[in-house]
Order: sequence, then structure tokens, then C-alpha cells
Amino acid sequence: MNPIIKISHLDKYFGKLHVLKDVSLELVPKEVCCLIGRSGSGKSTLLRCINFLEEPSAGIIEVDGLEVHVEVKGKQRRQLVHDLRLKTGMVFQEFNLFPHLSVIENVIEGPITVNNMDKTKAIEIAEMNLERVGMLGKRDEYPNRLSGGQKQRVAIARALAMGPKVMLFDEPTSALDPELIGEVLTVMKKLAEEGTTMLVVTHEMGFAQEVADRIIVLADGQIIEQGRPDQLFSNPQDKRTQALLERYHN
Amino acid sequence: MSLFGHKNNIDQPKTQGELIYDAQNRTKRMFTTNVAISWIILLLFLFFLFSGLTITLGGYTFKTIHLDTVFIQENLSFIASGIGVTIGISLLSILLATVLALLAALGRLSKIPPVYALSTFYVSLIRGTPLYLQIFFFFLALPQLGIILTGLYAGVLALGLNYGAYMSEIFRAGLSSVGKGQREAALAIGMTPSQMMRRVVLPQALRFALPPTGNEFIAMLKDSALVSATGFVHELMWRATRVGRAQFHNLEALIIAAVFYWIMTLIFTSLQSRLEAHMARGDR
Ligand SMILES: Nc1ncnc2c1ncn2[C@@H]1O[C@H](COP(=O)(O)OP(=O)(O)OP(=O)(O)O)[C@@H](O)[C@H]1O
Ligand SMILES: [Mg+2]
Repeated sequence: MNPIIKISHLDKYFGKLHVLKDVSLELVPKEVCCLIGRSGSGKSTLLRCINFLEEPSAGIIEVDGLEVHVEVKGKQRRQLVHDLRLKTGMVFQEFNLFPHLSVIENVIEGPITVNNMDKTKAIEIAEMNLERVGMLGKRDEYPNRLSGGQKQRVAIARALAMGPKVMLFDEPTSALDPELIGEVLTVMKKLAEEGTTMLVVTHEMGFAQEVADRIIVLADGQIIEQGRPDQLFSNPQDKRTQALLERYHN
Repeated sequence: MSLFGHKNNIDQPKTQGELIYDAQNRTKRMFTTNVAISWIILLLFLFFLFSGLTITLGGYTFKTIHLDTVFIQENLSFIASGIGVTIGISLLSILLATVLALLAALGRLSKIPPVYALSTFYVSLIRGTPLYLQIFFFFLALPQLGIILTGLYAGVLALGLNYGAYMSEIFRAGLSSVGKGQREAALAIGMTPSQMMRRVVLPQALRFALPPTGNEFIAMLKDSALVSATGFVHELMWRATRVGRAQFHNLEALIIAAVFYWIMTLIFTSLQSRLEAHMARGDR
């Protein structure tokens, strides 16, 4: 099967700091990959390079057949990056809902402003996606009236409403109180079962074990190990992976 | 259930914490009451001071200030009809100031050197010169260059430019109150930078800037009095000085104007704090 995400020889520097070192990675359609690694290993940076929230220093990013070479500049580049962002949906640790907009307005904002969709159609799509994450009941609330878990589910619906080809999650449950993590993971599991291609940075090893098709371990800006969850968890090869998993066992 | 709870309250002695809380509450309420009473006394004293009464106390005679009530009655409505003009000038000026302040704030955040320079240059020039001079500049100096503005336009232009420079700081704070995460969320769903600005950053920044802009409007109501110096804008101050000078009753005329300014300030301040409370709820 053709990969839907293909990252080739990605390098990223922050000034002199070499954060991603020649990373290559492919995801096939409907695949769910969990990205794990110590703090500072470059997980967020890798994810954010895929939709160019961070500017990669070198390499090629390809999503759903759209290839973006980092060297391309100017107007052509802006168009490519824009198209790339339409193919990817992103969910942030801090939700980043628009506080001045109600739940439904948050979700129709993208389709209307970016895709020039007419409002009735956008609302229809938004309601369908809010239903998917179990938040249709709060359609007219404002974000500051929602719990963290509810906010994150709306943020997921907002990303889904753009009809992305792949979903990127950057520690979607790390800012949540423990009792609210479950509802978000349940939604993500459901998306995975529906066949959504997902790349998830997470510390939730239970979720990774249960839902992921593949675990990718990042250390010092390099992929040091990857494999099926059962194999990787039971028989980690690299010492750094062992040390990382050790921490979750305690 | 509520009966039971009530009974409980009576039976059980209050805890130390509850007692302290009650005492603090009582002190707070007493303070507020005393301040209110003092205000009333000060107001009464002011009335007394201008009552025109003569008082003899232990051999000393005190004369309070006498105001000409006939003059007041005859000219009250003439002065009062300046209120609308004063509010009108202030609204126009604050509108201009808001636009300029927003542009200056955007310029201040710009990475393009000439744009940044223009913004800081404008703010520096305006803040470095008196408002009074600026008003006269537009009214008296520009005609020398063949540009003739009416007193109203000169005044609004000067007030707008002046307040815009000071208010740019408010809008700068407003713009930087919108976090990086908001911008990234907008970009991630595919917005262009200008869509992000219009749909995500500006609405939040303006919301942030609305209450302080209200404060500036209240200050503007009073600074608009300076426009009377052009002699052609018939707002409160102009009307007061005109009848006051003509009939040599400046004391009465200025007191009337002062009372109107004060009342306007009180009304708009209370509207303002209501607005602020509404915004603080934050559900809109
Ligand atoms: N904008 C930035 N400027 C400079 N350095 C950065 C920037 N963002 C990240 N870094 C550095 O890049 C490295 C990788 O950061 P990154 O956020 O990708 O790590 P992470 O694996 O997501 O960590 P965490 O689990 O803490 O989120 C870190 O050393 C970090 O300090
Ligand atoms: Mg991170």
C-alpha cells in the first residue's frame, strides 16, 4: 500500500541545536502510530514539522501524495504548505479552542473561512463531528464553560471538520486531570476504529498498547526503535527504550 | 431538610473561622457605609459653601459664596445643550483614536523596519507635544499652508491623533494577550496569516481592549473641553465660558459646566464598570 505520510531525511535545527537528525518515517492509510520518547527527544518538533508549524531545516514531507521539499521557497511554498495543512488535522496539548467562539462556531470556523463552505453545510458537518466526539449536547456553550476533556473533544471535532487525511495528536491528554483522560482516549480509540490515520505523541502506554498498530521510539532526534506494541513492550531492544518503559512500569 | 439545617445552625456554636469571617464582613460593610456617609457630608458641605447664607457663630460672621440663581436659571439650558456636542466630539475622536491606535499597535509589532519606525515615530511625536498645541496646530497653523479645517474637524483630528498615540499601548497589550497557541490552531486548520488575524487574533484583542478604551472615552469627555479654545465648537465648555464672560458670571457658568461633566463621568463610569463585569464573565 502507498504510504499516506512519508517523511524523508528530515532535519531540524533550532539555532545550533540539532533536534531532528535525518528522520524518515512512513505511515500507511488507517495506520495508528504512537510516538514515544523522553522529554526533549523531539516528538513535538517532528509532529509540528509535518504541517510546517515548525519549519524543517531539510528533507521532504509528503502527505496523501502532496510532496513538499523544504528547499522550495516563496509563493509556491506558501501554497504547498497551505495544501499540506488542509490534509492534516492537529490536536494540541493545550486544546487552543477559540475562546470568543461557541463550540459550534469553533467547529464551523475552518470550513467557512478556509474552504468557503456555505453556513448550512458547515453546520451540518460540524454537528456530525460533534456527535462523533459526544459533544453535540454542548454545541452552544463557550469553551470556558467546558471541562478540559470536553474542550479537547471539541478540538478534535474542529480538526475533523476540515476532513483531513491524517490526524496529528501532540500529547492530547497531558494537560488533563486524570479523571478526564479516559473520555478523550475513548474518542481517539473510536476514530482509530473508524479507520482514521493517526500519529499520536503520548505518554499513555495503555492506550498505545491497545490501539496503536506501531510504536515509534524517538531519542535525541532519531528513531531508535519501532514495532508492534506487543513486541516492543515485551521485548525492547535499545537500552534507552528499556529505560523509558521502565519508568512507565513504576 | 432545610428546616433541619436551620435548626442545626442555631444549636451549634459558630466555629472560630466563621466568627472571624463574620467580623471581617462586618468591618467591610461598616467601612463602605462610613465612606458613603462621608460623601454625603462632603456634598452637603459643598452645597452649603455655595448657598449664599450668612452665619454668625460666637461673634464671627461667615459669609458663604452667593450664586446668582437668576443667571443660572436663564442660562442652564443654553449650557446644557452643549452636552450632546461634547459627547459627539468625544465619540468621533475615540473612533479615530481607536483606528489609529490599532494601526500603531500593529506597526509596533511589525518586523518591517519602516512600518515599525512609522509607528514609534507617530507615538513619540504626539506624546512629546501638548494636546493643546496639537489642537491649535490643526486649527491655526494649517491654514498657513492653505489647509483650512473647521474647529470641529481640527479638534476631532487633534484629539483622535493624540489619544490614538496613548491608546496604542492598550491595543499592543490586547494583541499580545492572544497566545501563540491560538495562532497555531488557526494556521493548523489552514488559515492564511490574514485570516488568522481577522478571525482569531483581532476579535480577541479588541475584546481585551474594549474596557480600557471605555476609560479613555471617559477621559476624552473632559479633554474635549480644550476644543473650545478654537472658539468655533459649541460644546459644554465653549458655552459656559461664552455666557460666563459676557455677563461676568464665570463662577456660575463654570460650576454648571463642572456639574455636567461630573454627572456625565459618573454615568459613563457606571456603564463602564457594568461592561467590565459583563466582559469578566467571559462567556461572550
Ligand atoms: N522553538 C524552539 N526554539 C528552540 N529550541 C526548541 C524550540 N522548540 C523545541 N526546542 C528544543 O528542541 C528539543 C526538542 O523539543 P520537543 O518539544 O520536540 O521535545 P518533546 O519530545 O516534544 O518533549 P516533551 O515531551 O517535553 O514535549 C528540546 O531540546 C527543546 O528544548
Ligand atoms: Mg512535546
